[in-house]
Amino acid sequence: MATTTTSPPPPQPQSSSPSFPFPREYFFPAFFTRQTNITIHHAQLTKWSALILAYARHHRLFRITISAAAESDLFFNRGIDRRLSPPDIREVLDFMRKDGRAEFLRPGDADASSSSAADGGDVVFLYWRKPEEWAALVEAFVEETAQKGSVLTVYELTEGENTRGTEFHGMDNQVLMKALNILVKRGKAQIFGSEDSLGVKFF
Amino acid sequence: MSRKGVGIAAFDRSRITSRQFASHGSSLRATNAQALETQLAVFRSLLQQFAQTHAKDIRSDPSFRAQFARMCSAIGVDPLASSNNHSSGSGTSVWAQLLGKTVNDFYFELAVRIVEVCGATRGENGGLIGLSELRERVSKGRMEGADSISDDDVRRAVETLKPLGSYAVVTVGRKEYVRSVPRELSTDQAAVVEAAQVLGYVSVGMLRDNLGWDEARCKTVIDDLMAGGMLWVDKQTKGEWEYWSPGVMADAGTDGEAGV
Repeated sequence: MATTTTSPPPPQPQSSSPSFPFPREYFFPAFFTRQTNITIHHAQLTKWSALILAYARHHRLFRITISAAAESDLFFNRGIDRRLSPPDIREVLDFMRKDGRAEFLRPGDADASSSSAADGGDVVFLYWRKPEEWAALVEAFVEETAQKGSVLTVYELTEGENTRGTEFHGMDNQVLMKALNILVKRGKAQIFGSEDSLGVKFF
Repeated sequence: MSRKGVGIAAFDRSRITSRQFASHGSSLRATNAQALETQLAVFRSLLQQFAQTHAKDIRSDPSFRAQFARMCSAIGVDPLASSNNHSSGSGTSVWAQLLGKTVNDFYFELAVRIVEVCGATRGENGGLIGLSELRERVSKGRMEGADSISDDDVRRAVETLKPLGSYAVVTVGRKEYVRSVPRELSTDQAAVVEAAQVLGYVSVGMLRDNLGWDEARCKTVIDDLMAGGMLWVDKQTKGEWEYWSPGVMADAGTDGEAGV
């Protein structure tokens, strides 16, 4: 499924949701310097990972561009003039990737599952819900609204009136496709149609 | 020098004497023990009465609990110590006997929570956490409406962890910490930890100027503390690097996984 070409420009973290309550460590200057002690560094990565996911969930961010995000308030605390450098951001994201909470998108490659931080992708999916979890939500929605056996377009799923109020309303198309593909693999759905008008049939 | 008892009968006599001594000794011991037992029984019943009358206060009021604990220790009763090495044999502590376990359990449960919090935060603070920060974290993890916990409770609960070896309350400067690693702070390290209490951080220059140490000494101590995980480095300063005490952030934070 080559969906990259039509994907909209990734939204930037500065988008206007009510302000995110940053945790205490965000105001701890040393939090923004890569720690040399291994144990501490691990604790630091864990905290950053939790912060990024909470931030992404709050702003409903499905993907970030590292170079742009490095300037956003997520990684740049202007109040104390401390920032996490792009290499360090990359390291945190790679840490999250190993945990299944992030995925690097290689330029021009829709199947990013095998790429890692070293491959240099600038766009990263953030999985505050993993694709499997999104799949379960979609499946539950289809079940609840008795639409098994019927055909829905991908557009309907993310933008339609019926899904308003569900968690996946307005979600990133590429992440949704990953979730739907999981359902396909399980034999719970079938995807057909061309790029602009993809349809899904649920079983 | 008398030379009595050179004959065979002397053996008998000495045997008789020692037997008499022994029996007399044991009867003395018995009366002694009896007297003590009576005293203990009286004391215990009084303590029990007191504890039962005030059980609710002991459980719900941290300062009252502290007072009661202080009273117990003043009269030489360690309320938490298990008494199974004595003849009572039941393996329960005085408080457990007196209060139907609740107060006793209170401290053991608190101790378990303390171990959890110390374990969860060890990665970021090297096993040295401020007593009040620890209390805050422990309180946060408890259910709404649960009885409040005082610093004194934390101190006592940590005391119960003593057999584990590594847990202890240490005082550095004017602040109390709970140490959960089997590592003592050297005098120099303690001095740096104390210095970091003032602004939250230290730097080589700061230590050199305030403690009068030469640079190598400052560096060594800081490196030691860094290796122990008790300082975080901040390299984004305009001047020299600053080394931050993680206590500055450890008291709150939103990492729920560590809290519950």
